[in-house]
Amino acid sequence: MIHAVLIFNTTGTSRLTKFYLPPSSLTPAQKAALPAQIFHLVSARPSSLCCFLDAPSLSTTWEPDTRIVYRCYATLFFVFVVDSSESELGILDLIQVFVESLDRAFENVCELDLVFHFDQVHHILAEIIQGGLVLETNVDEIASAVSESRKARKESYSAANPLSLAGSTGGMGQRGANSISTPLGWLAGKVSGLTSG
Amino acid sequence: MFERTLSDLIRGLRASSKKDEPKFISLAINEIRSEVRSKDMELKAAAILKLTYLDMLGYDMSWASFHVVEVMSSSKIHLKAVGYLAAVQSFKADTDVIMLTTNTLKKDIASPHPADITIALDGLSHIVTPDLGRDLSHDLIAMLNHSRPRIRKRAILMMYKVLMKYPEVLPHSFNRLREKLDDPDSGVVSATVNVLCELARRDPQYYLPLAPQLFDILTKSSNNWMLIKVIKLLGALAPFEPRLVKKLQKPVTDLISTTPAVSLLYECVHTCIIGGMLEGPGGNSLAKTCIDKLAAFLRDPDQNLKYISLLAMAKIVPSHPHLVAAHQDEIISSIEDQDISIRMRALDLVSSMVTDYNLQSIVQRLLAYLVPSQESTTSALPSAAQSLARTAAAVTSDMSLATPVTRADASPTPSTLTSAYRLEVCRRIITMCSRDAYENVTDFEWYLSVLVDLAYVSNVGSIGRDINDKLLDVVVRVRGVRTFAVGLMLRLLNDEILLENCRDPTSCSEVLWAAAWICGEYCSELASPQELAPLLLQPNVMLLPDETITIYLQSALKIFGHWAAEVSKHWDEGLLPEIKDQVDKMISNLDRFTTSPHIEVQERVSFFLASPAHLHSETLSRTAQASNIFQLLTFMRVDLSKHQEKLAPSSISNLESPNSSLPSLSKTSWAEPSFPKSLYLIRPLHVGELNAIAPQPQANVRVPEGLDLGIRILKTAGLLLAHEEGIENASPTANRRRKGKGKAEDESAKEKSKGTKKKKRDHLMAEAYIENPGDAAAREKRRAERIALMRDDPYYLVDDPPHRSAPQDDVDSIPIIRLDDLPSGVRTRAFGPTPVLSRSSYTSLRSRSSTPVVVDRGGEVSADIHTPTSATPPVSLKSPTTQPSSSSASGFIPSTKPLSRGFPPYELDDDDGGKNGLGVSAPEPIQVTRVKKKVWA
Repeated sequence: MIHAVLIFNTTGTSRLTKFYLPPSSLTPAQKAALPAQIFHLVSARPSSLCCFLDAPSLSTTWEPDTRIVYRCYATLFFVFVVDSSESELGILDLIQVFVESLDRAFENVCELDLVFHFDQVHHILAEIIQGGLVLETNVDEIASAVSESRKARKESYSAANPLSLAGSTGGMGQRGANSISTPLGWLAGKVSGLTSG
Repeated sequence: MFERTLSDLIRGLRASSKKDEPKFISLAINEIRSEVRSKDMELKAAAILKLTYLDMLGYDMSWASFHVVEVMSSSKIHLKAVGYLAAVQSFKADTDVIMLTTNTLKKDIASPHPADITIALDGLSHIVTPDLGRDLSHDLIAMLNHSRPRIRKRAILMMYKVLMKYPEVLPHSFNRLREKLDDPDSGVVSATVNVLCELARRDPQYYLPLAPQLFDILTKSSNNWMLIKVIKLLGALAPFEPRLVKKLQKPVTDLISTTPAVSLLYECVHTCIIGGMLEGPGGNSLAKTCIDKLAAFLRDPDQNLKYISLLAMAKIVPSHPHLVAAHQDEIISSIEDQDISIRMRALDLVSSMVTDYNLQSIVQRLLAYLVPSQESTTSALPSAAQSLARTAAAVTSDMSLATPVTRADASPTPSTLTSAYRLEVCRRIITMCSRDAYENVTDFEWYLSVLVDLAYVSNVGSIGRDINDKLLDVVVRVRGVRTFAVGLMLRLLNDEILLENCRDPTSCSEVLWAAAWICGEYCSELASPQELAPLLLQPNVMLLPDETITIYLQSALKIFGHWAAEVSKHWDEGLLPEIKDQVDKMISNLDRFTTSPHIEVQERVSFFLASPAHLHSETLSRTAQASNIFQLLTFMRVDLSKHQEKLAPSSISNLESPNSSLPSLSKTSWAEPSFPKSLYLIRPLHVGELNAIAPQPQANVRVPEGLDLGIRILKTAGLLLAHEEGIENASPTANRRRKGKGKAEDESAKEKSKGTKKKKRDHLMAEAYIENPGDAAAREKRRAERIALMRDDPYYLVDDPPHRSAPQDDVDSIPIIRLDDLPSGVRTRAFGPTPVLSRSSYTSLRSRSSTPVVVDRGGEVSADIHTPTSATPPVSLKSPTTQPSSSSASGFIPSTKPLSRGFPPYELDDDDGGKNGLGVSAPEPIQVTRVKKKVWA
């Protein structure tokens, strides 16, 4: 199964951390430091090297059959920690699926999308992996599930906030939503963006 | 009021500098603290979302767990989603508010809106606990038949999580899961295969009935994702069903030859290997195909393929070493790959393909790789620390390898050659060579030089201890190599650079410990011991760690004692000045150690034999402590002077005037031998030979009568195991035997604490305890009762999942097979005393050997220890030479020898007899028992 999914950028800032099976030997503080530790190892590897990380220094964190599979897209590292019941090459493909799904949801995804919609990213990931097991691998199927759940949240949001034009509390806003500021939205005090900046 | 939204928070964080960040965050968290208490759910949810973001950055949010639950229970889906996300990210198994979520989850799962169900299932998959699993299992099982495939998929994956936490559901859900393999939606089937694949990792044999359905999917489906999982699952089942192996061969071979997907191809190859499909008839051609595919991967420019190829080859090596050996060159060159992942895999593979033919070349290659060389060019930039380490390595490595040194303009170190990796390589080299009692080592002189080279090139200080252990182990076990070893060690001791750098954390100065010990112990091999002794006491030695200094001191004394005794054998009065000179040198050299800050060193200096009291404090008043090593040497000096005095009138007149300051000695008469008797003073330090110790003497020590390790200290635990106890006590034979054998007692006590009934029964069986059928039935019944009892006990962790519906194997019904191939030591331990091997079988054993290397693989058993197996001859696998039979001396362990440290654990049990096992009958039981009894009573 998949133990963890981490995304961080090329300077080591976490963009998403999800532990499906947290390494039990670690204290919370160590666990929080883990992305940085992996980043340190991964970022030192030129892109010509293979996408599997076998680090002697991490051998105490996970069982020996656990593997770290990663891929770098532009400024982001996508890191999957998996055990031997997953196919190594399959996981590489799965990372690709994940990125494609992000791309569909955000249209030309870039790091900023992940920064400002980190909850969205979680929702998309939830359509691909549930509890460490792969739920769906078909990009179309994932995209439709994502948009379906987004629609549900959006409707619920507009029902609860009739004055707002676009939502942000649930993070379901489209890109640019939080820069919209209308008098009505301003009055409602729910619109994100410039009002309190 | 304008609350900060998540976007504001993120923007603020991005705008704030590193310095302001803590301030900014603490401000934000304060705001959140007040916001989560708000009555407005939207506001509360926004605060929780911000908190979740901060949680990702490493800030604690456990304090807000209750508010998270509040948000989760909101009826609005956009808020609910926030709540669930926060719960997934922040709840741990011990978060107490989880139990408050039960109703929310129940409600959401039963919701008419699929979106609610989706969120709830996803959330539950993270936070599920045994309690939640129990409470929700019914709803979840019903969910498996939900009308929407998307929900069915999620419910199936959910079942896995529930089964992990609450295995009791398996019997109820298994059939449903099985039905899902035939679901019309391929996504659902895929999810089911996924779950089964995970479940089958634990106990595959229970999932064998699914094989036909899975086979069907394998032949019909074209979804590669699913095929990979099906192949994996079938590979896990195959070892339990030979017919399945046969049946799988065709479709898997077809897949291998037809599929364009590399990942599927790899998985097929991998399954062939782990599923044991390469063994039976027809397996060889399949193995050939697999290896060919893997070799193609190995040559592929795609590094990922290279990596997995090495990974798979490591698994195929045990069964088909010759096929892998064909690609040896490519594999070994992967060790020098610039990618650490590939290097690690290659190391793994290489160390499993070592044989006595290729060991030397592989090790040489690895060693050469450790040597920093100019050719190693990588694009990576070295850090300052690495450059430093490199320079240090350059300095040390000059010595042994005599490579040209022009490293001032050293090219960048391979940045991946971290110390962790170096350590790994060194460890591999050592384990590779020492595996199976040095089975692959044919030339021990070579091995010793490898160890010494390692000490120089490893550049990792922490390997020093390992090298040390192996040096001692080899020299003690392999007699023939001692002369060579002493010469080699002498070179180490003479190496001043090593000594000077000993404080450097990357230097392996610990080998000096072994070097000094070996030279001291086997000083009879030294050509000129009188030169080494002062060397061991030179001023620079003070730089060494104190435990090494202590060994230096002892060795110096041993060497000196040996030399003095040797000199006396061909005594010539002309030698007297030289000896006197040596004694004086020793004394003056030792002087500096008395002021050593290390108490241990001081102790050692004064540790040796007590000398005559009348010399006390007369000459050594400056060192207030009783420095007995001084006294010893001073006594020698006095004796020598005395001797000289005696001779002075007659022949040797050119010597210095006699020392008359010691009138107390002058009256004594020293008539008989021509040489000064005191030359033999230190010699007794060196009596007897140290041998490797066999692994089991400790087990042979009897437990004193009256000591019952089985008695429980804690009363409550007794309740659970009371029935087990009853079984044992029911049989007087078993009981008596337990008392008779200390080892048995020991083990049963250990097992009791673990509560492993099965092992214990094995053990009893080994003790020739035969149970009648009535007992078995009663025992089975009691066992069931006890398990029921344990299940209700909240404080007892049931470690074997009770969901195993298949009947438990009756361990007692398994016939005992005498494993004749086992080494004698193993056999005797498991089944009690074996008959004495006859002389003829022993000689036949010896006669098949060819090389003159004697390896004492077993070690010795002290003559004091009662050993029921001592009649077995030592297994000297390759030895035509005579075994030393110094059984009388072997029991004597001089107290000055560093027994407490440095001996590696002996994992071998080829042999237990050791030196004294040759023809000697079982020695008397150990007397220690009485003493022990007193102590324990």
